[in-house]
Amino acid sequence: MKFRRRSNLLVEPPATATGDIAFNLIVFFLVCVAITPDTGRKQEVPSSEQEKEKSQPMEVLVTREAKHVILDGNIVAIDDFPRALTAALQSKAGSSAEVADLPEKQRIVVISTKDNKDAPYAKWIKVAAMIEDVGAILTLQIEEERTVDTD
Amino acid sequence: MKITRKHVKADVPSVAMGDIAFLLLIFFVILSRAEDDTHLRWTPANLPKVENLGNAAVSVVINDESKVFLNGAQIGMGQLAEQIEARLAGFPVGDRKVRLKVHDNATAQYFEPVIEAISQAGGELEHVLQLRSDE
Repeated sequence: MKFRRRSNLLVEPPATATGDIAFNLIVFFLVCVAITPDTGRKQEVPSSEQEKEKSQPMEVLVTREAKHVILDGNIVAIDDFPRALTAALQSKAGSSAEVADLPEKQRIVVISTKDNKDAPYAKWIKVAAMIEDVGAILTLQIEEERTVDTD
Repeated sequence: MKITRKHVKADVPSVAMGDIAFLLLIFFVILSRAEDDTHLRWTPANLPKVENLGNAAVSVVINDESKVFLNGAQIGMGQLAEQIEARLAGFPVGDRKVRLKVHDNATAQYFEPVIEAISQAGGELEHVLQLRSDE
């Protein structure tokens, strides 16, 4: 028996479906994009207070120098800074308790750059993180702009 | 003489539907990324301990040229506090997060006024940092 070969086969893909294919491809790639969350640190920025504190808080000066910071006027190597800060806060409070257990007013540490406006952010955030990790309360000191009348 | 009306096929070409869908999609993707800051160049500072941050209402970037951007658009320091406050309006405490992305070599001259502006606007500051892998 002889079969006749079919000659009118559909050989091209249906053009109507290309839109759907494109759409599904886009959705697929959008879903595949890895949405990685940002990592970092939260920082409580205290509201600016006009009143002067009666007791002088400890001051940490961040400079451009990568290896050291200035803690209450003394140059401290950055690796020793957490230990030095802990000791200084305990000494000031007259207590050997953990810094986090000291009264709130006695663990306020002011971080500033003063005239060292070329201090890089990488160092500033490192020092700020060290202060917070010790258990101290970080306060920022930003230079105020003042207008002085000479008349 | 009788003239027969010619029947014209008036279908919408279904082949073009895909293209229309594609263009619509691109349009909405571009719209949604208008306030994005991923086009900005900055290098995050490293810390040995970082945490995952959630969503933030506002993003402030100081890029590698020390220019300040609010939600992807460049802004002057004078307007920053006011603009952040406007964008945070209506957000309750706890949701007033401001994500700060500072290039690691940016100097205090640039990042301190930004932190001050965020503080003035009542924003809850979150520094975006990278985990230091060597520690």
